[in-house]
Amino acid sequence: MNEHFKGRPGDPAITSLSEAAKAWHEHRYSAEVAQKGEQRAFMSDIGIEIAPLYTPLDLINDGHAYLEDIGFPGQYPYTRGDRAGMFRTESFVVSAYSGFGEAADCNQRFRTLVGWGAEQLLVALDLPTQCGYDSDHEMSTGEVGQVGVAIDSLADLEALFDGIDLASIKRVGTLGNSIGPIVLAMFAALGERRGLKSDQYTVNLQNDPLKEYIARGTQILPAEAAARLAADCVAWCVEHAPNWSPMTVCMNHINAGGAGSSRAAAIALANAMHYLDLLLEQGYNIDQVAPLLHMFPDERHDFFVSIANLRALRRAWAKLMKERYGATLSDAMALRMTVYGHGQEALQEPLNNIVRIAYGTLAYVLGGASYVYIASYDEAVSTPTEQSVKVALRTQQILANEHGFIDTIDPMGGSYFVETLTNQIEHQIQGALKEIEEAGGALAVITTGLGRRWMTEGAVRRQRALDTGGRPWVTVNKWPQQPNVPNTAFRIDSQTAQKQMQRIADIKARRDPARVKAALAAIDQACRDGSNMVPPTIEAVKAHATVGEICERWKHHFGTFEPSTDF
Amino acid sequence: MVTSERKVRVLVAKVGLDGHDVGARVVARGLLDAGMEVIYTGLRRTPEQVVRAALEEDVDVIGISILSGAHLTLLPRLRQLLGEAGAEDIGLIAGGVIPQEDIDPLKDAGVSAVFLSGTPVPDIAHYILEHYGNRP
Repeated sequence: MNEHFKGRPGDPAITSLSEAAKAWHEHRYSAEVAQKGEQRAFMSDIGIEIAPLYTPLDLINDGHAYLEDIGFPGQYPYTRGDRAGMFRTESFVVSAYSGFGEAADCNQRFRTLVGWGAEQLLVALDLPTQCGYDSDHEMSTGEVGQVGVAIDSLADLEALFDGIDLASIKRVGTLGNSIGPIVLAMFAALGERRGLKSDQYTVNLQNDPLKEYIARGTQILPAEAAARLAADCVAWCVEHAPNWSPMTVCMNHINAGGAGSSRAAAIALANAMHYLDLLLEQGYNIDQVAPLLHMFPDERHDFFVSIANLRALRRAWAKLMKERYGATLSDAMALRMTVYGHGQEALQEPLNNIVRIAYGTLAYVLGGASYVYIASYDEAVSTPTEQSVKVALRTQQILANEHGFIDTIDPMGGSYFVETLTNQIEHQIQGALKEIEEAGGALAVITTGLGRRWMTEGAVRRQRALDTGGRPWVTVNKWPQQPNVPNTAFRIDSQTAQKQMQRIADIKARRDPARVKAALAAIDQACRDGSNMVPPTIEAVKAHATVGEICERWKHHFGTFEPSTDF
Repeated sequence: MVTSERKVRVLVAKVGLDGHDVGARVVARGLLDAGMEVIYTGLRRTPEQVVRAALEEDVDVIGISILSGAHLTLLPRLRQLLGEAGAEDIGLIAGGVIPQEDIDPLKDAGVSAVFLSGTPVPDIAHYILEHYGNRP
């Protein structure tokens, strides 16, 4: 504890502050602790011990300088925000991630969401679509429409957005991590068929395949090939749709899986660097490509750590872009962030999750995230019901409009605690990034098992903290209740798979087989010669080639991933 | 009291396309710590592959982790395949996000226990040792 109370020798003001702090700690705080004891160890999930009190000394000891380390919103190093005006000029974008069943049913939910005020729609795809299988594939058994909507061909995406004006919502998109070029092509074709130019609507993709191998598990191809296809999407947008955000490099599943938010941030930065390096090899410069990358931070255990994580990540990104990549444009150095508000949701008494998620999301808002999604309180249980989705959306609207949360920019800036955490977290991120680079970079995180090792270590540590009560969790290890997945859990129409298979059969009967064949041959060609995969994929989806048919071509050329059996 | 030298052998498996395997890996590690021999299949296995692995590895029990909602299709299929392979004696338990009303149908289909997400790992280990710990 004493290192918090060292002053800079010779400065009388600091010496007296240091002495006062030391006296408070020894005579007042420790005296009370001796009497009452501390409730528990105050250890954050990322392993930073939380001190009883933070003072200016913590920042002085860190060599903290306001202009260099904190600065102003919209100015290097962007600690306080990516834009000068932040939420005073444009609030964070209230977004909905949704999808289930077949497109026509899901379309109704989308219209409802827009009616409630959702400003961005991100399509949740079912697992067969995410993993590149058509609904009629054997591997799709039992999974069609289960955790998202089934999209087999462009016809499904058109049905999904029927009656929804793409130009009047701020962004549309999906994750599509392992099928980036296909979903990009589908959204491009969707706009084209409606007569929209690319600057009249904005498409946002996650399109971050590398983290799938570490955490989320929808990988299809070997990682190197998948990264190339993802980078192709960014390159295509640089040329054809520079206002789109075709890549959102993610740490959320890596953190949720156990890595902790700082190591997850380092892995995500390493992944981002891998994609950027591929683009630079193709001859693009950093100021062209970096503005199209967004990041997706994640911290759901500790409120203040979360705020500091976003601030530290903006600063780490800015330094990386400026110092390592030589970026000169503000857009390349200012990191825009998408978040998905979570708390530590429990299966016990799920209504309590509303409160947990609201606090988790508030931390992201205070940290300055630009695009905000939010979990529904029953999301740990099933695909969210309409009721729970509405609560989630209203929660965001309350955060954006009530209580004065957004009235001033970076309201936690200057807090001795949050600034100290921001410094500590940036050091953690830089340290982990160094370890990754020494191991060989983003691909090595996957191939050496470093990523999975970090995740398993953390997941086991978290489980023990819960099993022993070291981390309190209401209704789980404090006032424990039986977990219960209620019968009101949302169910998709039991006929979904059958109907979806019929739709595929209908599409295949109606489309022009010669056009499909030629389009798939062009995809083969791009696989062989390394040219950008997006143009032939656009032609293929317009010809109503299916997701599965396109992925089969990729697998034929690149092979498939090998699942790890380590634990 | 006669105790067998043989440790309980458990196959922890992911079936279907659900790629969230942290729970499966944490449970696998916990069962290992509890003194069992544990094999993990890795992601995205078909029921056929899981049954084949269970037979090859001569396990006492299969623990399926499933969060995608496909449990009512995939778990009965596994039990059926075990029966067809003459391996009725291999236990089948499941963990993940499974609605209350699905638990009885799963038990009727031969899934002997269902552990919801958040169950302490020692509880799962205790159940396995109690039910599969004294097999020859």
